[in-house]
Amino acid sequence: MTDPVLRARHLVKTFGSGHTTVHAVDDVSLDVQAGELVLIKGPSGSGKTTLLSMLGGLLRPTAGSVEIDGTDITALSESRLPKLRARSVGFVFQAFNLLDALTVEENILFPAHLVPGGIKAGRARADALIDRLDLGSRRHSLPRTLSGGEQQRVAIARALINEPPLILADEPTGNLDSARGQDVMMILHDIARDEGRAVILVTHDPRVEDVADRVMWLEDGAIRDRKAEPHSWVRDPVCGMRVDEWTATLITDYGGEKVVFCSQRCLERFEANPERYASGPSRPDGSPERSA
Amino acid sequence: MLRWTLKSLIHERVAFFIGVAAASSALLLVMFFEAVYAGEADNIIAYPRNAGADVWVMQRGVGNMHMATSYLSDWKVSEVRNVPGVASVEPILYLNTVIEAGGQQWFAYIVGLDTPAGAAGPWAMHSGKRNPDIGEAVVPEVFARVTGLRIGSPIRIVDHEFTVVGLSRGTFSMANSVIFVTRVDVEDIMTSLDIVSFMLVTAEDGVHATTLASDIEAAVDNVEALTTNEFLANDKQMALQMGVETVALMTIICGALAAFLIAFTVYAQVARQRRELAVAKALGVSNSALYLSVCVQAILLAAISTTFAVLMAVTLMPLVTAAIPMVTLQLSTASVARVAMLGFVVAILASILPARRVATVDPMTAFQG
Repeated sequence: MTDPVLRARHLVKTFGSGHTTVHAVDDVSLDVQAGELVLIKGPSGSGKTTLLSMLGGLLRPTAGSVEIDGTDITALSESRLPKLRARSVGFVFQAFNLLDALTVEENILFPAHLVPGGIKAGRARADALIDRLDLGSRRHSLPRTLSGGEQQRVAIARALINEPPLILADEPTGNLDSARGQDVMMILHDIARDEGRAVILVTHDPRVEDVADRVMWLEDGAIRDRKAEPHSWVRDPVCGMRVDEWTATLITDYGGEKVVFCSQRCLERFEANPERYASGPSRPDGSPERSA
Repeated sequence: MLRWTLKSLIHERVAFFIGVAAASSALLLVMFFEAVYAGEADNIIAYPRNAGADVWVMQRGVGNMHMATSYLSDWKVSEVRNVPGVASVEPILYLNTVIEAGGQQWFAYIVGLDTPAGAAGPWAMHSGKRNPDIGEAVVPEVFARVTGLRIGSPIRIVDHEFTVVGLSRGTFSMANSVIFVTRVDVEDIMTSLDIVSFMLVTAEDGVHATTLASDIEAAVDNVEALTTNEFLANDKQMALQMGVETVALMTIICGALAAFLIAFTVYAQVARQRRELAVAKALGVSNSALYLSVCVQAILLAAISTTFAVLMAVTLMPLVTAAIPMVTLQLSTASVARVAMLGFVVAILASILPARRVATVDPMTAFQG
């Protein structure tokens, strides 16, 4: 077995002190191999984003260590961390987070400027990524003119431009409709399988479980054994995406019935025009399909 | 990185143009004050500069004309005339006083000329007589326009009534207008006889002014003889000293205003870009690179504002001078260089606060949906 791309040992992160101490992450250890797609799930406030931030070198742990490609990033000085992030970690955010003033191509190439010699090699890679992610016609467009799916594909291309061994994605489908979300999931899946990168995904999207190599359940900051609880699948009435009713966080009440959503966007759409969606075929039918 | 710095600066075009316009206006004010001051200082020495003398002779211990008093016995005029190398001597009796015209009080040089006047009189005329006779005065054309005087109008100098007979050009300044009368009239006003204030000396061909000034001081007792260049330098320094503190204060105020406006624009830019700065940090941009980016934005903003300010100054100043004849604006290369330097300093100062804000941006906020 080769050395893991990511090795986290006994990670702890606490905020505050005394009576107000919050253990956001509590003794988490984790290895992720090249080519592996790991899904981190858990309820809201369980510490998923804090964990992801520590794994990506954005947040220093209170205790424990993180190694990326053999480099202990918790031992690196603040001045050396940015370079390591640029070279070794690709981030994909829920809100896409493209730079508004730059075109698609410039956004993709942005991290290449942060790595010595990166821009020279980056141009060819950018061309290949633009082709692969079907962004050719949008190369010179500004982010505000792109659809959500296109923006997320640009963000993925940006995450890949320096060929980092580790990709960290936080709710990458959270702001996308069902079809676009599916696209993005498959791209991330291919990145792990075809390119041999370690991909860690934080998501509520239950479909990812089908393609993930491992699913980790984070609760109260600690990795727990995944309960063999059954799912309670229902349909998001707006986009039609399958949502686990028991772990869903975006829920509203309409006409005395609980309505569950995959994303904030769908919830907002529903609230803007509930009659349109409530009467449609994707309304929760009250007879959820259940699976272990 | 540089591309992002530049493009994000102008991405919010309205905010960018408001920032540039505001900072340009502040820098334009700095240039305007300097130009007014330089123009005024230049006007103050217009008379000694245009009088055509090579050497100025005056009472010992006096070194300039502006706000100065000099008295010499008029028999010394003959002594100066006899100094070898002297081609001509024009004595003037000079009084600086306040006169009333057009309902306002004006500080003026009253230059009493020997009649017929030679080089010491007005060097350019708008209309009327160049050489006043007793009871007559030649006043600046701008002064006449502002105060409503015309040829034939009466004008009161101290307690004497004069008639305006000529309007001269280039003799007006807000600090001191030059009014020409006869020396006899000035003697009458001063109730003193047989005195002169300055002697305007021209040198014979081949005689150097410095040498001639030394020769005059050696030959005539208790006189100060200065070359015109020395005399002008003293006068200009005196004029500048009188206003330099005011102008320095104005420059500091406007410079501070420009710094504030540029800082505010860059600060607002940083505040607007907080999410993008967090993303850039997460992607691997170092704090120092982001500081540099903010600094470059401030410098660019200052450079663009300075360029706009200079272009506006070059365009507007002739129009202001044409519309307000009392004001002479003189925009010098040194003034532009000073404003450019001020703009640079302002930019550096203006980037401090936004740069501090950059340091507080938490890259983790990139995760916030």
